[in-house]
Formats: sequence, C-alpha cells, structure tokens
Amino acid sequence: MGLLGGIYAIWLREVKRALRDRGQLIGGVSRPLMWVLIMGIGLNPYFRGEVFGEVRFAIPYTYIQFIFPAIVVLNIMYTSVQSAVSVIWDREFGFLREVLVSPLPRWAALLGKILGGTTIAVFHGCLVLVLARFADVTFTFEQLALGLVYMFLLAFGLTSFGVVIANHIRSFEGFGVFSNAVILPLYFTSSSVFPLDPALTRAQTLVVYPEWLVTIVEWNPITYAVDALRGTFINFNQFNPSLGPIVLAVIAVVFFTWALFDFRKA
Amino acid sequence: MTEHTSNPAENAIVVTDLTKRYGRMVALDAVNLTVPNNTMFALLGPNGAGKTTLIHILCTILRADGGQAFLAGSDIARQPLQARQNIGVVFQEPSLDDRLTAYENLDFHGRVYNVKAADRKQGIDELLALVELEDWRHAVVRTFSSGMKRRLEIARALLHKPRILFLDEPTVGLDAQSRAGIWSYLDTLRKQRDLTVVVTTHYIEEVENCDQVSIIDHGKIIADGSPSQLKHAHGKETARVTPRDPETATAITAKFGIVQTSKDGSLIIDASAPGFADAFLGEFGSRIKQVSFDVPSLESVFLTLTGRELRDRGADEHEKRGAAGRRGRRS
Repeated sequence: MGLLGGIYAIWLREVKRALRDRGQLIGGVSRPLMWVLIMGIGLNPYFRGEVFGEVRFAIPYTYIQFIFPAIVVLNIMYTSVQSAVSVIWDREFGFLREVLVSPLPRWAALLGKILGGTTIAVFHGCLVLVLARFADVTFTFEQLALGLVYMFLLAFGLTSFGVVIANHIRSFEGFGVFSNAVILPLYFTSSSVFPLDPALTRAQTLVVYPEWLVTIVEWNPITYAVDALRGTFINFNQFNPSLGPIVLAVIAVVFFTWALFDFRKA
Repeated sequence: MTEHTSNPAENAIVVTDLTKRYGRMVALDAVNLTVPNNTMFALLGPNGAGKTTLIHILCTILRADGGQAFLAGSDIARQPLQARQNIGVVFQEPSLDDRLTAYENLDFHGRVYNVKAADRKQGIDELLALVELEDWRHAVVRTFSSGMKRRLEIARALLHKPRILFLDEPTVGLDAQSRAGIWSYLDTLRKQRDLTVVVTTHYIEEVENCDQVSIIDHGKIIADGSPSQLKHAHGKETARVTPRDPETATAITAKFGIVQTSKDGSLIIDASAPGFADAFLGEFGSRIKQVSFDVPSLESVFLTLTGRELRDRGADEHEKRGAAGRRGRRS
C-alpha cells in the first residue's frame, strides 16, 4: 500500500507538471491538426497509383485515413520522449535527491515517473483521436479499447527510451537536438506517410522502392506500432498482424529494464 | 565518545571506521561517531573537511568504501530503505520542485514516505505554521525567497516524523534574521518531540547551543564533546597583540611563542600562564598598539586543533570538487 502511494505521488507530480506546461499542450494539439488538415487533405487526391500500367488505389483507403493512425503514433512519440526531459530537470535542480533519500525503492520511483510520462503521452494520442471524425475514421468501442492498450505500450516503451537517453545526456539543449534527430527519422521510416503495398511481393516492392529504404522500414520497430494501430483503427495491416503487439511489448520491457539498470547505478 | 555505549538501538547514530575515498584523496578517514538520542549535534569543520561527504553517506546517497553506520538502529548498507524512513534531510542546495506549490511539495513528500492521509493533512498544517509559511501554502515555490525555500524544506523533512534530522549548512546564504528563525524552529521542535538534529555549519556561534560537537578536519574527527567540555580540554586563553614594529614582534615571538599570525599583522599568543597579563604588559606595554584577551571559545578551540581560523575560508579545491560531483553524480 505504501509503495502504491509513493508511485502514485510521483505519477501525480509528473502529470501536474505536464498539465501546467502550456507549450507542451499547444504542441500536442497543433501537431495533429497540422498533419491531418495540411498533409492529410493536401495529399489526399494523389494517394492512388499506377503500378505496371494498371491504374488502381494503392490501398483501399483515403490518404487521411491511412496516415491517421500514424499521427497518433507521432504525437505519442513526441510527448513520451519529451517527458524524459524532466529527468534532466530533476537532476539539475536537485529534486532527484528528494526522491533518492526517500524510502521508496528505485524501481518504484522510476515506474511512477515513466507511468506519468506514459499517461501524458496517451492523453496526447487521444487528442488525435478526437479528430477521427474529420479524418473519416470510425471505430467501435472495442477497437478504441484495444487501440488504447497499444498506445499505452508504445508510450511506456518510448518514455523509458527517453529516460535512458536522458540518463546519458547532461543538458537540455542536447536533449532537444537529440529528440528531433531521432523522432522524425523514426517516424518517416515507419511506413507512416507512404505504404509499402502489401499486394506486391518483396521483389516487386524493391522495384518501386530502393532496397535500403525497404530494409529500414522493415527493421524500424515504430513500423509495427503504426501497423498495429492501423490494424485496430482502419482494419488495414501491411505486416503480420500479430507482430505489432509483440514488438510493442518487447520495446516496453526492454527499455524499462534498461532505464532501471541505469537508474540503479545512479 | 566514551561515555556512551555503542549499542545501535540506544543511539541515534553510530558510525564505526567509516571511510570514503575520491580517487587517491581520502575524504573520510576511519571516522567514528556516536550520537545519543535526542541530542542537538553539530559537525564543525572547515570547507573540504568531509562534512558533506559524511552527511551524504549517512543519507545513503553516497556509498562508503569501508566501515559501518547505523541510523536509529538500521544498518545503512543492509537496510537502506528502513534507515531512510527514519531520517529527514535538508541538503545544502534546494531540492524542492519549484513548479509545485508549497502544499504540493509537502503532500508529495508525505505520500512518498507513506504518511496516512489524516496525519499528512494535520502535519502539513502544523509544520507550515511552525515555519510561518501558512499564507504561502498555495503559492508556487518558484516565487519563494531562499530563506522561505529553506524553511519549507525543513518543514518537509519533518513531515514523516523522522527520528533524525540532517541539516547540511542550513543557514548558509541566509540573512541574520532568517538564520535566527531557523534555530528557533528547531528549538521549538525539540521541545515537542523526540528528535536528534545533526547540523553541519561553520558559524561557530550557532554551535554554542548544541549538546554535542564534533570537530572534523581532513576527514578525521579530531575532537568531540559538549561545547564546554571542548573549551575546557582544548581552549586556551589567548591574547591578540598588535606590535608597533617588527622588532617587537620578533621579541614577543621569541619570548611567548605564537599560536598564529592574523592577516592584519597581529599576533595571537598563549595567555593561559598565571600572571601572564602583568608579565606581558610590564615588558611590552609601551611597544604595542593594541592588546585584547580572548577567553576560551569554540573559535579558539578550533584554532588550537586545526591551526586555522574557521572564518578563513573561500571554497578550496576539495569543496569545489564536491560541488561538481553533486551536480552530475551519475558517472
């Protein structure tokens, strides 16, 4: 009971701080609006292709529908990784010590912190879901529930990842540079903004795309996060549907363990 | 300390042979220390003596290289979580979340230390009243002055009713009024509950009111006892003399031997011999500008033991290294 109270206290602090940070909230709202309204609507008419002389839709969805789950992932990525800035903050401004001398075990302190970041990230993911109507995406309550589970796993894994990075970076500036240098490439190579046509064999895909790009997409774990959410929200999977949940769970476990290892050393 | 037994259960703090090295530098050299329950204990020493290192080890945020320490009966190496439940800590630098309000900082602390909701609420009210911050309960800590922050940290460190309160230089950087305030809060508290207070300081006048004082230098405890015991054992009556010319200075030095030379050129000499004043003034009375006599004080005890005046300070190499270590203690 005492342990839960402590984890709750740390979680509560993270959430309070994030909600008081106007800049983060504005980013969380404006980012999906920009992607849905500008990218989505702008590219919508071009999202059909001619493959081997045969005109057809690449996939049976509009472009907005196609990128909508990816925008959920993008918003979660930004928020999760950003939330790890608070690790640097705590170290710089001394609050870390208050936690270190407390009778709370290290793993509980870390868990509270990561759950706090995860909550905010899932919340920002939900801000995108509010736009579902404009993207012409409809889903049932069950789909929403499953989607939230995937979003939670993704946010948990990415927040842990952010904490790992924050443990190795000393300055706020370094962290800002880092997060942009990592988030966007991961996002763009996750088959988020363009599909790898599932109707094509790998050999045919390689005719359309250079091999390095296909390889990166296939190795990028975010690809499977996007795919899992696509499968959930628009019933479209480019990869084996069971891969998504597995990859998400592995990311969450691996990075949390890593973050804990670093934090114990501290 | 010989008059107290070393039974960990009867003493708030028992430290045996505690050692800490930073590379080749020995920060703590087999420190032994016993602090009985309910004492106001002061750790006195110049900068870089190892005070902060000792406190950090006792708070379990720094690991010792050797030796043992018990806090309220718990071994800090084997039962760190239990030891932490029994201590409250106020560090040299603030460790508040300055984006939260005073109340939220205290509430956070209470939850993390598993203080029951009703006790937490009552404790927060009482402690905010004690440190005179009731009116600032819902103000964000960022807007606080450094004195207010320090007071809030003291209130926070007491919320879970610790048996030992560590204060690392609690009055540094505060104006005289705030300093006096902090000591009066501590006095009030010790009348209300069982509490051992461990304070490091280099303001000697603050130490006079403590029950027990340990003087630490170069990582070793060089003396301990109550202030009056220390004065008896190590204090000397000294005379501070300003000679008119260098020849007189040489003559005085030859005859009485100097304890120390002050920066302003005056000599501090041993005046404890009977009839010193007569003998000294008879011989040198016309050749000195000024003479003053010091009765034994902790200041003179400190001077005798370390050969330094406590106020001769300025962060030396060691302390700076400590400060750098505090900022990025992770590697």
